[in-house]
Amino acid sequence: MSATRISATLAVNEDRAIACLACGHALGPAGAPWKEHARLDEQPMQGAGGAPYSNAERVLLRRFYCPGCSALLDTESALAGDPFLTDIVRV
Amino acid sequence: MDPITFSIIRHRLFRVIDEAVITLKHVSGSAITNEGHDLMVSLYRADGSLLMGGVGFLHHLTSAAEACKAVIRRFEGDIGEGDVFLTNCPYTAALHTSDIYLVAPIHHDGRLVAWSACFVHVYDIGAMVPGGFSPDSRDIFTEGFSSPGIKLVEGDTMRRDVMDTLLNMVRAPEMVALDLSSMIAANNVARERMVALIEKYGAEPVDEACAALVDQSETLFRKRLQELPDGRWEARQYFDIEGETCRVLLAMTKEGDELTFDFTGSSPQSHYGINCTYWASWGGFFAPLFPLLCYDITWNDGVLRPISMIAPEGSVVNCTRPAPVSLATVGAIQSVNNAACTCIAKMLSASEAYAKEATAVWHGSHFAIFMFGLNQRRQEAIGILTETFGGAGGARTWADGIDVGGEIPNPIGRMANVETTEATFPVRYLFRRARPDTGGPGRWRGGNGIEFALVQHDSPEGGINYVVSGKGTEFSMSEGLGGGYAGAPCAYRWVHNNRAREDGRNVNPFPTSLDEMTGEAETISWGVFPLKGDDALYVRSDGGGGFGDPLEREPARVQADVQAGAVSAEVAARVYGVVTTAGGVDEDATRARREALRQARLATPVAAE
Repeated sequence: MSATRISATLAVNEDRAIACLACGHALGPAGAPWKEHARLDEQPMQGAGGAPYSNAERVLLRRFYCPGCSALLDTESALAGDPFLTDIVRV
Repeated sequence: MDPITFSIIRHRLFRVIDEAVITLKHVSGSAITNEGHDLMVSLYRADGSLLMGGVGFLHHLTSAAEACKAVIRRFEGDIGEGDVFLTNCPYTAALHTSDIYLVAPIHHDGRLVAWSACFVHVYDIGAMVPGGFSPDSRDIFTEGFSSPGIKLVEGDTMRRDVMDTLLNMVRAPEMVALDLSSMIAANNVARERMVALIEKYGAEPVDEACAALVDQSETLFRKRLQELPDGRWEARQYFDIEGETCRVLLAMTKEGDELTFDFTGSSPQSHYGINCTYWASWGGFFAPLFPLLCYDITWNDGVLRPISMIAPEGSVVNCTRPAPVSLATVGAIQSVNNAACTCIAKMLSASEAYAKEATAVWHGSHFAIFMFGLNQRRQEAIGILTETFGGAGGARTWADGIDVGGEIPNPIGRMANVETTEATFPVRYLFRRARPDTGGPGRWRGGNGIEFALVQHDSPEGGINYVVSGKGTEFSMSEGLGGGYAGAPCAYRWVHNNRAREDGRNVNPFPTSLDEMTGEAETISWGVFPLKGDDALYVRSDGGGGFGDPLEREPARVQADVQAGAVSAEVAARVYGVVTTAGGVDEDATRARREALRQARLATPVAAE
């Protein structure tokens, strides 16, 4: 079985693990939430871009990075304490 | 039926709608219809189900079906040839009271064979605030005229008592009459063309083709769903109203050839009119679904059949009467649009075959501003600043979002020339342009939004008033995709006494940016405000969401963005890791910068820790 794509940045590999499309680093079993296995940078959204983001003080930009190659796997906007968005693809 | 006749009838149905839309625009006199294309015309089966979805705001395609069905229930036995029915009750079918549906039965040889339905956002509806967006309303009763169904035209004869009653309850009745006339005309054209089609091909063959067309859409859509992976995807939208934060939570589940949109967990209904009703949420996710999943499938009831929705009663996405909803279209409905776009895009991204169809969110926050007051000809003027329809494209998986590139829920939306606005209202634009750095960064960046500033000019009353119903000033509502960042939030500034001379300095009366304005800039987002004296109104729209990792963007594209003024050199270096110079990309510095950024990423903690 070859790797099966499950998002723009992730695939399920032959070992039924979710893996980074760029480097193959495993991020937990297929069908389970993967974000807890990623590196997380959580900063106020106002730092996401230039001056037009200056209003966005309260909302956070969550960036989930691959621990293997540092690829940016996903982002989400969140208020502090709100759970991660969970996407499950059945393969 | 032979496939050629089927195809001819199918294309004739498209043309019926095209002609009806042209008619509507020719008769209507308001910029929101002719410039913003805040309109819709569609055809429906005899039972009110969607037969052929038209253009305009796509969340109306399904809501107008509910309008037809409501009229069928209410007027059973009293639906005759040449009748036209009106409904604008949000708790019946409409999105908010300003969007009036006129639905008209189409008869052939005395038998009801179809319906045509259309809407425009009428000039006024008699709400607390002119134009219909009513930020101070706290219930539906203060949001203007509202009818669950009334016969406006009977046997091709206008019911003057009904028309006069309605016009007696609105401001600028002559303009509202023109709006209604435009819709009657559109329905008349749709009816004439449908009858001509039936007379050419016969009632039974046309009915057979229409039924087959709906079945065809269902078959094709179910096949497409089968081709996509099963799964469950989540999206979350925030919006801020006067210190109140609302959430729209969506979990979209796809199993086999069926899709479920579940809004469980969304905020309770608000005190403000940003709520939406059940059918508005239903239409809200179809607005991105039709173009993203059914771009080559006829938009009709067949597409609806594999879909179900869970929307908790009493929530911001399924409010209970008499909750206010006048701002639903720029409130909860737009968040439903955005959340659905994100979930659908994530599902597409999970498919090798369909990943290229995925997109980040386009123009996540309408900044709809209505102006009202006496214009330079001492006429009462009410209308929207159509820049809100200018939008900002979300990045695709293969291209940047288009600057000021519109929005998905209305593929034909556009904005008026500044001269049109200046001819309608006593105002002058100081500037209007795409705003750099508003598009969400990414391998493919989101399209930039717009910024502009207005001052009063030649006003008999020294100025005019405007209504701001701004959410999305604190939260980025155009979510990114696949690592792309969300677009920048909106901003509104009331610049007081812009021509103030401070410290004896001469001040430029025609500033070309917010920074050049000398008056105090007050942040505003909600309510009715004056544009008078030497004050100015500055508005910046949101940008489209980005796609992919900004560090994967080709340095030459970043350099080109900086040279074009679309991205600042500061953002190029800090976010994209690209060091730009007048002569081009500094490749060594860029390589070092990007490596440093990547190392910094690896120094962040694992999320579970």
